[in-house]
Amino acid sequence: MVNGYKPTTLQEAVEIKGRTDAIPYAGGTDLMVKNIPDAVYLFLNDIDELKQITQDDEYIHIGAAVTFTQALADDLVPPLMKEAISRIAAPAIRNAGTFGGNLGNASDKADSVLAGFALDARVRLVSVSGERNIPFDDFCVRRGVTNIGDDELIAEILLPKEKCALPYYYKKIGGRSALAISRVAFAGAYEVRDGVIQAISATVIGEGKFTRYREVEATLIGKKVDEVRANADEYAERFIEKMTFIRGRVSTEYRKVVVTNLFKDYLASLE
Amino acid sequence: MNGIRFRLNGKDTCYEGSAADRLLDVLRDEYDMKSVKCGCKEGECGACAVLIDGVLINSCCVAMGAVDSHEILTVEGYRETARFEALSKAFADLSAVQCGFCIPGMILAAEALLSKNAHPTEQEVRTALSGNICRCTGYNAIVNAVMNAAKEGDGLW
Ligand SMILES: Cc1cc2nc3c(=O)[nH]c(=O)nc-3n(C[C@H](O)[C@H](O)[C@H](O)COP(=O)(O)OP(=O)(O)OC[C@H]3O[C@@H](n4cnc5c(N)ncnc54)[C@H](O)[C@@H]3O)c2cc1C
Ligand code: FES
Ligand code: FES
Repeated sequence: MVNGYKPTTLQEAVEIKGRTDAIPYAGGTDLMVKNIPDAVYLFLNDIDELKQITQDDEYIHIGAAVTFTQALADDLVPPLMKEAISRIAAPAIRNAGTFGGNLGNASDKADSVLAGFALDARVRLVSVSGERNIPFDDFCVRRGVTNIGDDELIAEILLPKEKCALPYYYKKIGGRSALAISRVAFAGAYEVRDGVIQAISATVIGEGKFTRYREVEATLIGKKVDEVRANADEYAERFIEKMTFIRGRVSTEYRKVVVTNLFKDYLASLE
Repeated sequence: MNGIRFRLNGKDTCYEGSAADRLLDVLRDEYDMKSVKCGCKEGECGACAVLIDGVLINSCCVAMGAVDSHEILTVEGYRETARFEALSKAFADLSAVQCGFCIPGMILAAEALLSKNAHPTEQEVRTALSGNICRCTGYNAIVNAVMNAAKEGDGLW
């Protein structure tokens, strides 16, 4: 085809990526809106290997070209991830949009990436010279920037089963019920045993970049839930202090207030 | 170089242009499928929606290379069916059409829903149409028309 490559195996796709500048294309929902002039695409939408949802002992594997609609109908996909992606846009976008595209687009408002951060997700990258399997934290550098290599493709994302089984918290604040990009969203997974926090994750959309607040998380581990609830204001303050709030379309003031409220709501929900 | 081969409303078709061309533009300009409307080119309005292998997709968000070996249905093809008749009658009966710009997308969104769920609840209809923007009707008449079509056209889906 003119101005495009359409491999049917991942091996072929990786070889094309290695020797050309073709732009990986999965669902097209970000790329076609960007409308890059004179684009040459590497179409990934008919590669079966990239469209599988599977599991092994440790991980749920979601192929890079799995669509949100496909994932919503699959029992292997954990509830936190389902809740996050069920609120993306509207059916026609969920029918086309993929996990690889959501991550590859490097937006700071990607809903599946938020859920992935809360669940300690990893991404498997492949190239002709080999593969890398790295945590989301290392993949997402900042808004618009990932550390994917020029010759690499996203093959799949991996969700640790141990985290997928934990109770979780998720809230998205957008401008309306459908077709609303998250202004602020909050996701976390936690484990409480005998009233004591054993494990906890907290991550947000709204700071302007994706990150995990591991220092704040560490201060909560080993604490009694009652104590944490009683001092929620103080913990929220520490949480907010860690954030740099990169300038964006939504005012910093607004985002700070909403993130603070959601963090406190999260602490109140622990059980 | 091979062209891009796909089925359009049941007919084998081969597109010789660029794989990066937008499906929406190609459908309207090359194949004269004027039921497919352009309201935004940003995936937001649903006026350009088509069915690809039976799945609702906004054609403004699709590059031609992606449809190679797939099957596209627009209202030009769908209108030959009894299902379309049922929807068309329900939309007329309930005065669910004003300017008409959003309607082809609404019809295909309704077909995408009913083909998977022949007896949807009102909420399911609203969710299924949530990516289709209408500037005229205020939606209620459209939602009622889809509910009516499901009832009157029982057995078609
Ligand atoms: C109207 C509308 C509403 C939206 N609402 C939301 C929302 O609420 N929440 C949200 O998170 N997103 C939203 N989006 C954004 C978009 O739908 C998602 O980011 C989606 O996941 C993108 O997936 P895709 O397959 O369509 O990506 P594509 O457009 O195909 O690709 C996106 C980027 O990822 C790269 N890429 C894709 N696959 C790979 C791969 N395997 N390896 C390497 N790079 C790759 C591409 O080169 C490109 O840079 C919305 C988009 C639209 C148009
Ligand atoms: S023109 Fe495609 S969604 Fe508006
Ligand atoms: S009838 Fe005019 S936009 Fe819907």
